[in-house]
Amino acid sequence: MRYIGRRLVIYAVTLWAAISLNFFLPRLLPGDPAAILIAKMSRNGDVTDAQLQSIRRLFGNPEASLWTQYIEYWQQLFRGDLGTSVSFYPTPVTELIGAALPWSIGLVGMATIISFTVGIGLGMFAGWKRGTWVDHIVPSTTLLQSLPYFWVAMVLIYFFSVQNQWFPIIGGYNVFMFNGPEWSWDFVGSVAYHAVLPATTIVISSVGGWLLGMRNMMVSTLGEDFVVTAEAKGLKKRRIMTTYAARNAMLPSIAGFGVALGFVVGGFVVMETVFSYPGIGKLMITAVRGNDYALMQGVFLVITLTVLVAMFITDMIYGLIDPRARQNV
Amino acid sequence: MIRTTGRKRVIAAASMVAGLSLLVAGCSDAEESTDDPTTDATTSSETTDSASAGVKTDRELVVWAGAQTPINQTFNPFVPEVQHLALGGVYESLFYYNKAGAGDPKPLLGESFEWNEDGTQLTISIREGVKWNDGEDFTTDDVIYSFTNSIAGPDYITGAEATDDSTVVLTFDEPQFTNELSVLGLTWMIPQHVWADIEDTALEFANLEPVGTGPYTIGSISDANYTGVANPDYWAGEPNVTNVRYIGIDGNQSAEDLLRTGQIDWVGMFVPEPDGLIDAGIGYINTPQDPAVLYTCSNADLGCEGDQTDVAVRQALNLAIDRTAIKDKAFVGLTGTISPTFALLGRDDKWISPDVEAESPQSPNIEEAQAILEEAGYTKGDDGFYAKDGDPIEMSLTSVDGWTDFNNAAKLIEEQAAAAGIKVTAATVSWNEFADGRTNGDYELIMGGMIGTSVADPFQLYKDWLGGDATTPAGTALEPGDWNFSRYDNDIVNEQIQAAAATNDEATKMEAYAVIQEEIVRDLPYIPIVINATQTFYNQTDYTGWPTEDNLFAFPPAWGSGAAGVVLSSLGGAE
Amino acid sequence: MSDVATTTSVPPADPAEVDKGKDETRRVRRPVNGKFIIGATMLSLIVLFAIFGPIIAEFDPRNSNNPVLVPPDSTHWLGTTSLGYDMFSQMATGARTSLMVGIVAGLIAVTLSILFGVIAGYVGGLTDEILTLVIGVMLVIPGLPLTIVISSLVPGRSGLLVAVILGITGWAGAAVVLRSQAQSLRNRDYVSASRIAGEKPLRVIGVEILPNLLPLLTGQFLFGVIFAILGEAGLSYLGLGPTGSISWGTILNEAQAGGALTRGAWWWFVPPGIAVALVGCSLALINFAIDEVINPKLRSAPLEARRVRKAKAAARAQKRADRAAKRQEAKA
Repeated sequence: MRYIGRRLVIYAVTLWAAISLNFFLPRLLPGDPAAILIAKMSRNGDVTDAQLQSIRRLFGNPEASLWTQYIEYWQQLFRGDLGTSVSFYPTPVTELIGAALPWSIGLVGMATIISFTVGIGLGMFAGWKRGTWVDHIVPSTTLLQSLPYFWVAMVLIYFFSVQNQWFPIIGGYNVFMFNGPEWSWDFVGSVAYHAVLPATTIVISSVGGWLLGMRNMMVSTLGEDFVVTAEAKGLKKRRIMTTYAARNAMLPSIAGFGVALGFVVGGFVVMETVFSYPGIGKLMITAVRGNDYALMQGVFLVITLTVLVAMFITDMIYGLIDPRARQNV
Repeated sequence: MIRTTGRKRVIAAASMVAGLSLLVAGCSDAEESTDDPTTDATTSSETTDSASAGVKTDRELVVWAGAQTPINQTFNPFVPEVQHLALGGVYESLFYYNKAGAGDPKPLLGESFEWNEDGTQLTISIREGVKWNDGEDFTTDDVIYSFTNSIAGPDYITGAEATDDSTVVLTFDEPQFTNELSVLGLTWMIPQHVWADIEDTALEFANLEPVGTGPYTIGSISDANYTGVANPDYWAGEPNVTNVRYIGIDGNQSAEDLLRTGQIDWVGMFVPEPDGLIDAGIGYINTPQDPAVLYTCSNADLGCEGDQTDVAVRQALNLAIDRTAIKDKAFVGLTGTISPTFALLGRDDKWISPDVEAESPQSPNIEEAQAILEEAGYTKGDDGFYAKDGDPIEMSLTSVDGWTDFNNAAKLIEEQAAAAGIKVTAATVSWNEFADGRTNGDYELIMGGMIGTSVADPFQLYKDWLGGDATTPAGTALEPGDWNFSRYDNDIVNEQIQAAAATNDEATKMEAYAVIQEEIVRDLPYIPIVINATQTFYNQTDYTGWPTEDNLFAFPPAWGSGAAGVVLSSLGGAE
Repeated sequence: MSDVATTTSVPPADPAEVDKGKDETRRVRRPVNGKFIIGATMLSLIVLFAIFGPIIAEFDPRNSNNPVLVPPDSTHWLGTTSLGYDMFSQMATGARTSLMVGIVAGLIAVTLSILFGVIAGYVGGLTDEILTLVIGVMLVIPGLPLTIVISSLVPGRSGLLVAVILGITGWAGAAVVLRSQAQSLRNRDYVSASRIAGEKPLRVIGVEILPNLLPLLTGQFLFGVIFAILGEAGLSYLGLGPTGSISWGTILNEAQAGGALTRGAWWWFVPPGIAVALVGCSLALINFAIDEVINPKLRSAPLEARRVRKAKAAARAQKRADRAAKRQEAKA
């Protein structure tokens, strides 16, 4: 219990520091959001005083001291109010994030799980087959891992969506058929179909990492005495591979998996841009380009929270599995 | 598993849609042939009663008007992120001013208008028998409300009253000839019975079921798309294309891919190599309209800094630029030739003074450029660059990252200027830095665009971009609606702008313009480069009635505000 | 935050085993590490290209005075871009920038992770708490978004600036590993001994701790370089890469903006992507080899397995031969 309590305090402090940083960082960017909105509106004609006032009311007074703004920011946070987006005026930030979050978690989360499962499976196999031809294939996966994401994505689109029209080019679902998300099998099918290329991109670029890590741990573990003993006892090979070696070899990978899941939400900005995928990454880049402080802070907050939660869960699991971790706070 | 079911379903859907449109085409064929003999695209658009060409079709027309995902869900005409179909498709102005041609404005909710002698009174006769799409009558009260509401009513309108059921008279304190376009062409008619109650919070109103008079109503909206449905009670008759769908796309590459694979039907965007698309049977029209120029922060008196504040440097740079190379390489040969007077060649020729060169030089003249510099006291250093009193000419040239044609043009200008001994360094910046820099006068050179005038007269450009009233000292942001980023402030020009604004007499205006043109062609506060391409691609297989070279009845690109209604309601299914 | 040791950090558990490994390598011909050789060769070729490429290139990378979009031929070895830039010169100049970004960012990241990770782990107490907090914050604020914000903050980004940004946003993960390693080293006898002997903490870190972490640091540096080069390419794709200089990332960005793929100009789009991948691959291979040095089991186990398998196969062959011989005998 002390272990958990202590970790919780550390996480709380980290969260506070991260949120404060989220607050100050965007304010260093050039330009003031209200001014940008006014500039945009003036393209359609004159901006009246009434309009100016209502905009100032929404975006706060830039002349107020940073400290006052900081306090107001915390008050807003506790009310669950993340402010109003400039880029998507007058939509509230919470609504935008709420709409984007399921897409990011669904696609990237799924792809990360697939990548992890495939990588661990292949890694286990490669570790078991140590000293054979498989050893020569393993290093080549590093080449895939080193290709830029967007490059892979664009090549995939070119071959599988333009040259051969097997897969869609954009979107999280068929935007030509559905007037927005709905609950029907057709829609679910469409979502799955549209996820194929983005997910493939992620898997191609990340599976090598899992594979290598797992393979190396597997090889190390297979050299341990308890495995040698098991072999000597004449246990079945499959049983040794899965129950004895793989289970222990997987520990570090599980920790890594927790961290990777944490980055699901914000880690794939570039991929989401290439596929016009309606996730959090897209929102973030829109926010940065439009100097949309409120949206930026909201997105950062969500990313920070997911990473923290993922790490906390990993920590807890690790604390359970491996008693040494508890000593080593 | 997923792949096969997904594919089958899509193929099935596609063939179903194709089947449907065939069916519909088959049905309506019989009707149309008896009803309307003029189904030819070029003739039908000129008849005002039956606006649409072709036959009725419910094949959904897919449009990309430049929206990115997630789509901003608002049809409020007063917020900048309003979705495209709202302006022109749902809300209409009194008249449509065709940016692409020199003809008279097309009557929409207005039928005719007349100025009084001194430009202080505008009498508009309003179309009768029009209904809002919620069933209420469109009246002169709505027109007056649209001009006088506190949300965005222009403040130069001092009075608006109805003299009878179909006439509205607007009065002004000063001559407002020059605001004709914004009053008649850009003020959207909104229903008083909807907006009067929410005037105070109008900006926060998402307006998802907009009440307008236009040819379309809104069907649905989501983060990724929205749909429009033909308005059966439209005053000019229900449009032939009954369903349109606007989608959000995040990059030109994706849009080009979708166009190539036949998934979108109407788009206006820059495609470096349109031939491939044309060969695939996609309709294409290029209508160069907007000047691409180098903004120069030109006026040291108003606080501009940098070597470009010296007129000799600007003149030399103007001569050093190889416009042919820029046109061929950066703009892939798609641009038009620019006039240093900023009048649109071809459309506005009559306004160009005979005393100035009508076209900017198309090939570089390095000797003359260097002669100008040497006369102004610059000497060429050992490194090949000119300097004055040991202080070399050095200017930064920025462009917005991702505006590929501009980025490339800037790179070429850097190279060409270097060949003449002028050091220019090109870099890309974010849109925000660009906007901040130009509005605050905190830049040296920017590769940027000017907004071409929507009527066949360069006046608006002179007033908004070159007038001393439209600028502020560097360090102070320009007022909204002002565009004089160069901080140019020339008394002679200012005086002539005043003179031209107060008259509707062509000869007087020409005289004034001649003086203005002489000044700006010499001073070069904006160094003209090219008239930028405006490319439009459209599906000519399934639809007919598009604006073409021969019949430019509207500004063709899908992003053109206001044109959406005019173009969409002119279309019909191909037979 | 989590005390997860990487695979690389498993110390040789049993001295006897290490000896056995040495023994074996002496007896069996010491296997030249093929991965290291391939990786190092690839890397040297790329570095040589970066050094000499711009010198042997015939064209200025910014000279547009060439025909546009020419496929590779004898004049333009890698073709030209839509503005007529020579791709070979662009790639060569880009190699310098990209490698520079990678190395600088890698060095900054390693330095920072040592500064925070090792000191936190070794000193402990309040210092540890504070430094760990900093590491934690840097870890939960994901790198790319932070990079986007910082780089849109600074107008006119040079390659060096992008490198610095990537460096200061990408060190936290390594610091976590270093901290736990330093913590465990701190309790080793020889470290305790020098501490009790009154050595200054900095000296202990420099003399006793860092040398032991050297293989791990090298691995982290190599990964830092890979991530920085990939990060630079990603930033350039989003339009936030270095302005005014040519890197593989900016070439890719221009290629995709210029519609290289749809215009069939593969020579404009493919080489920079492959080049980035090759650098990554070569560094990963070298790291692979380093892993095997740190953790001899990685090397010895496959060899062992192979020997066992060969022995078994030999035994089986022997058995078969015996049986065959017996049958022969029986027949006879």
